[in-house]
Amino acid sequence: MQREVSSYAIAPSVKVKLLNAGFLSAADLCDLRPLQLSKEACISQEEAVEVLQAVRCELGQERAAAGRLTALELLGREQELGTIVTFCSALDMALGGGMPVGKTTEVCGAPGVGKTQLCIQLSVDVQIPVCFGGLGGKSLYIDTEGSFLVQRAVDLAQAAVEHCGLLAEDSEQQEALKGFTVETILSNLFLVRCHDYVELLAETYLLADFLAQHPGVRLVVIDSIAFSFRHDFDDLSQRTRLLNGLAQRLIQMATNHNVAVILTNQMTTKVWSGQSKLVPALGESWGHAATQRLILHWEGTHRLASLYKSPSQREATVPYQITGQGFRDAPPSDQPKASDDPSVRQSGSLSKRPRMEEDQSTRT
Amino acid sequence: MVCMGNMDWEQLELNPRIIAAVKKALQVHRGECPSLEPGHKLSLACPVLDALLRGGVPLSGITELAGESSAGKTQFGLQLCLSVQYPLAYGGLNSGAVYICTEDSFPIKRLRQLITQQARLRPELPQALIRSIRFSDNIYIEHAADLGALQACVSQRVPILLSRGLVRLVVVDSVAALFRSEFQADEGIERARHMLAFAATLHRLSHNYSTPVLCINQVTDVMDGPDPAHCNFGLVDNKVLPALGMAWANQVMVRLMLLRLPGCVGIGEQGGTSAPRRLEVVFAPHLPRASCLCGVWEEGVRGLPNRPRSVTKRLETTGELGLNDGT
Repeated sequence: MQREVSSYAIAPSVKVKLLNAGFLSAADLCDLRPLQLSKEACISQEEAVEVLQAVRCELGQERAAAGRLTALELLGREQELGTIVTFCSALDMALGGGMPVGKTTEVCGAPGVGKTQLCIQLSVDVQIPVCFGGLGGKSLYIDTEGSFLVQRAVDLAQAAVEHCGLLAEDSEQQEALKGFTVETILSNLFLVRCHDYVELLAETYLLADFLAQHPGVRLVVIDSIAFSFRHDFDDLSQRTRLLNGLAQRLIQMATNHNVAVILTNQMTTKVWSGQSKLVPALGESWGHAATQRLILHWEGTHRLASLYKSPSQREATVPYQITGQGFRDAPPSDQPKASDDPSVRQSGSLSKRPRMEEDQSTRT
Repeated sequence: MVCMGNMDWEQLELNPRIIAAVKKALQVHRGECPSLEPGHKLSLACPVLDALLRGGVPLSGITELAGESSAGKTQFGLQLCLSVQYPLAYGGLNSGAVYICTEDSFPIKRLRQLITQQARLRPELPQALIRSIRFSDNIYIEHAADLGALQACVSQRVPILLSRGLVRLVVVDSVAALFRSEFQADEGIERARHMLAFAATLHRLSHNYSTPVLCINQVTDVMDGPDPAHCNFGLVDNKVLPALGMAWANQVMVRLMLLRLPGCVGIGEQGGTSAPRRLEVVFAPHLPRASCLCGVWEEGVRGLPNRPRSVTKRLETTGELGLNDGT
């Protein structure tokens, strides 16, 4: 393929040297050995190895691209993947059923607004048996902040089991309930603790192997990306490169292994033209990394979730609350203006999903 | 960039460690992973306060206590320094504490008073046990007059104490003082960088040694009207919020606020009165938004066994404090 050298994710200084030496496109590079490349372009051997890895990796992937798909086939595939409910019906409706499997979603918010609660809730909800409308999958929780406290996971698991217990009607559901207990929920929740960005990146490299060994995993949570990437970086362009690489790997993981990837991000104060406001951390270019972006914020004493970026859903803001049982709808008495459009269409949802809450009158 | 080459090498080295590091939450719950001790917490030496925090201060991550001056924050710090020295069965960690002062000098007289009154504060403990512990021997006091000294203390001297098992509690009193005084109003980014570096050191220590870290923080006044640059964490009625902004808030796992209230409370006929305080949970991954009343007495801080109050209900008048009779 005639892809230009300047479009690869290589350090700008190296790119300049390559272009000066006359290497304009990938085809010029791919057949060289590192020693030859480093001599011709006057770059170090390590840099030459890196450049060749990047180029060959892309070429290999393009050649191996599994045939062409029509849009209809893609739609069918997407609908089969399903979604993970959040137990907040307003948010589920805004998301089109729940967190989409096969896509990456970023959840941003100030400390204490509920990002970790949402992550733990999803880690429990992904395990809801198929006959209750869930995915019956497992989850992997990558904790960088140390804020995953098992006590809380137990609370949420107990509440989910009770909720399903109340809903169980036919014998199939009763049977499934026997396999859905606090113990099994906790044993299907894989937990990894990463202490810095190096460990986090290493973990994502190994993620593909882990997902291949555990095909039942349907959810990967990284809580949070921002924590490890916001200090120890003097060279911000290096950080941007690493983050971009990370985002690409996660998107690949999500599509290849059919998992939902949830990333949490912090908020930071941005000052410009004399005004300051809170924006998601990690910079402007990170805003393009995830497919969907959800921002959790306070409005007075109410918690609101805003869907800021989504390729398939309309922008919406819905209220929610955190109870002892986990992430739930806000109590109906004091809901502020919720600007979700009731005519939002829910994508597909073919499986027999019994109503988790009563008021989903717009289900097609 | 050498970075990519580095990544492969490090990946190889970490591979077995990372694979082994994947635990099931069930194993953590059952206590099969000693590095991720599930339920244990450092007791605050009072059952009412422990109930508010579901056990006490968590063993990893930064717990922050913010409040105005004379709210009683230092009292909490001192009380924890004594509580940590009891055995695990009694809510302690069987080890000492390091207390880092950045503002005033260490209140040694008050510490001595608390030590003599321990039996009164903890009547449920056997007297012999209390008498057998040499409390002041196990509290290491550090002074840090500027940021450089603070960072040096936390990255050099404190790890030595931790690695020798001499301490299992770090108290910083206060974080706000040095960060507020050494940076101008327009040096926000510089300040944030130092704060992140400091917080990162504390996190590393906390997680490596399974040690609770208590950071005492000051408060700032809240300007009237909504401010898009500041998050008030849903505390609309507060006139003050913890200092140091979003950069610091992102590093904190458990945020508590201590608010001094007007009036007077007493405990039964044991005599002595105190100005009531309200200890409020602003956020924590395992705690609901709740608060309880407490007071500071000769023997230390005690929670008042009134019903804990949910912050979102607006009952903010003094008439609702439920002050004890006999005041």
